[in-house]
Amino acid sequence: MNHPHPTEAEATRRSNVTVLGRAEGRPVLFVHGFGSGQEMWHRLLPAFTAHHRVVLYDQAGAGHADPAAYDRARHASLDGYASDLLDVCAELDLRDVVVVAHSVGAMVAVRAAVADPSRFGQLVLLAPSARYVDDAATGYDGGFSREDIDELLDSLDHNYFAWTAAVAPMVMGTPDRPELGEELTQAFRQTNPDTARDFARVTFLSDSREVLAHVTTPTLVLQCRHDALAPEAAVRRVHEGIAGSVLVELDAIGHCPHVSAPDATAAAVLSHLGQPA
Amino acid sequence: MAQEGAGGACQDDALFQQAPCGYLTTTDDGTLTRANDTFLDWAGYRREDLLGTSITRLLPVGDRILYSTHCLPQLLTVGAVSEVVVEVVAADRARRACLLTATRSPASAAGPAEIRIIVFSIPERRAYEQELVAALHRAEQSESARTRAEEDLRRQAVRDALTGLPNRAGLDAELTRSLAAASAPVGLLFVDLDHFAAVNASLGTAAGDELLVVVAGRLLECARASATVARLSGDEFVVADELDTAAAEALAQRVLAALSVPVVVQGLEIVASASIGAAVSAGAEDTAERLLHHAAVAVHRAKARGRRCVAVHDPTRTDAAVGRLRLLGELRRAIAGGELRLHYQPRIGLAAGTMTGVEALVRWEHPVRGLLPPSEFIDVAEESGLVRELGAWVLDTAVEQAARWAADPAARTVQMAVNVSTRQLGDPGLVAAVTGVLARHGLDPRMLVLEVTETALMTDPDAAASALRALKELGVGVAVDDFGTGYASLTYLQRFPVDELKIDRSFVMGLGVDDGAGAIVATCVQLAHAMGIRAVAEGVETEDQRLALVAMRCDFVQGYHYARPLTAPALQAWHRERTTG
Repeated sequence: MNHPHPTEAEATRRSNVTVLGRAEGRPVLFVHGFGSGQEMWHRLLPAFTAHHRVVLYDQAGAGHADPAAYDRARHASLDGYASDLLDVCAELDLRDVVVVAHSVGAMVAVRAAVADPSRFGQLVLLAPSARYVDDAATGYDGGFSREDIDELLDSLDHNYFAWTAAVAPMVMGTPDRPELGEELTQAFRQTNPDTARDFARVTFLSDSREVLAHVTTPTLVLQCRHDALAPEAAVRRVHEGIAGSVLVELDAIGHCPHVSAPDATAAAVLSHLGQPA
Repeated sequence: MAQEGAGGACQDDALFQQAPCGYLTTTDDGTLTRANDTFLDWAGYRREDLLGTSITRLLPVGDRILYSTHCLPQLLTVGAVSEVVVEVVAADRARRACLLTATRSPASAAGPAEIRIIVFSIPERRAYEQELVAALHRAEQSESARTRAEEDLRRQAVRDALTGLPNRAGLDAELTRSLAAASAPVGLLFVDLDHFAAVNASLGTAAGDELLVVVAGRLLECARASATVARLSGDEFVVADELDTAAAEALAQRVLAALSVPVVVQGLEIVASASIGAAVSAGAEDTAERLLHHAAVAVHRAKARGRRCVAVHDPTRTDAAVGRLRLLGELRRAIAGGELRLHYQPRIGLAAGTMTGVEALVRWEHPVRGLLPPSEFIDVAEESGLVRELGAWVLDTAVEQAARWAADPAARTVQMAVNVSTRQLGDPGLVAAVTGVLARHGLDPRMLVLEVTETALMTDPDAAASALRALKELGVGVAVDDFGTGYASLTYLQRFPVDELKIDRSFVMGLGVDDGAGAIVATCVQLAHAMGIRAVAEGVETEDQRLALVAMRCDFVQGYHYARPLTAPALQAWHRERTTG
């Protein structure tokens, strides 16, 4: 500790870690999903910063994560992303961590919690799915066929320029939060189309169903209505797969309740943690 | 549609309805609240079909995912998205390319939040963009990103869906390109997982798939960034890179080491192992196909050598396919013509240090090539079914030899261990054949031990268990050979009446060198003792290994540290010299 190694803050830098809130509070680590970066959590944070040490980061290849740290081999499976998560926890020496993880981030968190249960005190899985592709052999309903996923990869190709566009975004209609506009829009556009494609494939072709049974960390599963990505059956499979997990249906519609219904989402998490919202 | 009588509102409404682009509005959750006439005409819907439904229903699934994960969150946080390329599924199910730009107006006194969307039809721009993307990919030629970009374009055709690695077609393309461009030799490793069928059979194909994905990841980790790692089919992988023979062998060893790290699959820890065949290009005449063929032939030899090992293609050998056919014919004549020999390797009781048994090992005294070890012909025998005749000959000869020693007061009486192949074990006539051989030569059944591999046990576990029970009733002993290299779990082994576990030489050789190997050997010994059976270590070559095995309380050992396999007279001579000297 007296002789900090030059690469000590390596994971923090690599994953563009942001630390907010009360330094001595119980750490809450937010793990974003496919399609964005840590900015996705923006609306949820005010509910946590008063009591918690809030840690945000960008998954490899997303947001402002160091593009050089994206390693095709390491990130060819969700375990690579889980290792990144554990690296951040280790470097910040986070303990008894509450992980709030969205979408495919939820399975990254699950894999991290299985790999090193000692780190984590609570998992909160927001709109999770352990497998997106249907599995006829087991009668599993993930919501998508293999062809659907191929279409998504096509769709990403079609948006090659939309995702990389270097032109200044035309930010309009954010009178309630003008300070956000430019920076956040940039963050959304930061995604590298090639890595987004890789991440999409890893995300949508992964199968984490067997991993669920190995989770020993207390887990809260949050479900939304009309979720286009994580249908009810898939979310229920996550809940049933993790022994002792608690399933709560949020009063929110769509796949991103932390964006569309931040108050209800924060309230559900905080009340589960035994705190007032 | 105009609801207001005032002229200004009327004009505004006409502008909305007849604007040169489609307009849609939705709530925050994507429910459509308005659609203009232009959009309805373009997409062919009636207004009442759309309002109240979700905008995502208008999008094909790929765009729907993008809209949910990308556009909607951006709208809700930033308030705008611009120029996103999507397709709209029209009423006639045709897809119309369009550009979508949207803003969100937050909730106010005037009403709830609203997302306002403009839809531009862009059939030409879409085609133009597709060309641009294709051109961009092409333009990346000669950069390091080139191969990656091309791979992306060809992904559907040349990728293996499970692991994401190139498939056979992808490998061919890669290999042809690297052979053409290479200034240095191109080396190719053909990696074939050992006993993979047993994983699928015992743990299910989902477990098998999981293992394959792990293996793919480990191969990628072993190889340099310049390498191509491909999955040919089933449990066959290829690693190709600019490598000379020495580098190819070194890489092969790294791969073996990486694969020997245990994998947890479906909650069970298993140790994968592979056999590797290596081939290195020698000149311009080496095509991708030839190189792959050479490596495939080499992997057959590696498997015959006892798996978990590496064989390098030797260009001085004759063409393998022809060679195999000729070998098969020669072997058939050899069995009939008395060219086969048995050699006997002593098995020593570790506590007393005395010989208690021997393992009978077949050799072929080839008229031209000299004395051949089984690795030179056993795989040909196995594949052709000739292994039954070979096995019958070995059993008969070994039992005859054991009976002769038992009847000779000058000779040391020893227990005779004989290897039984998968095919023999599956043969319903096995028990009758063993009974007949023992009776013919008058050998006490207790002096015979049959060695079967884990793989043989698991090929048809029920048949194996009933055959072994019948043999056990006869009094014949049963040993599990090459233990640790397959995937048999304890639960499986307990189904069989086994007397001995023979710990594979690859672990024994690692004693004192590799902590992992030491731990595996110790675990095998403990496992045997927990099951109330004997542990035998094969391949003991040094005094250090012997001492380590003594410390682990292993029961029996065999290996060059004591003696190589010997002819019958040489064995007795070795024994006399040892006991008198």
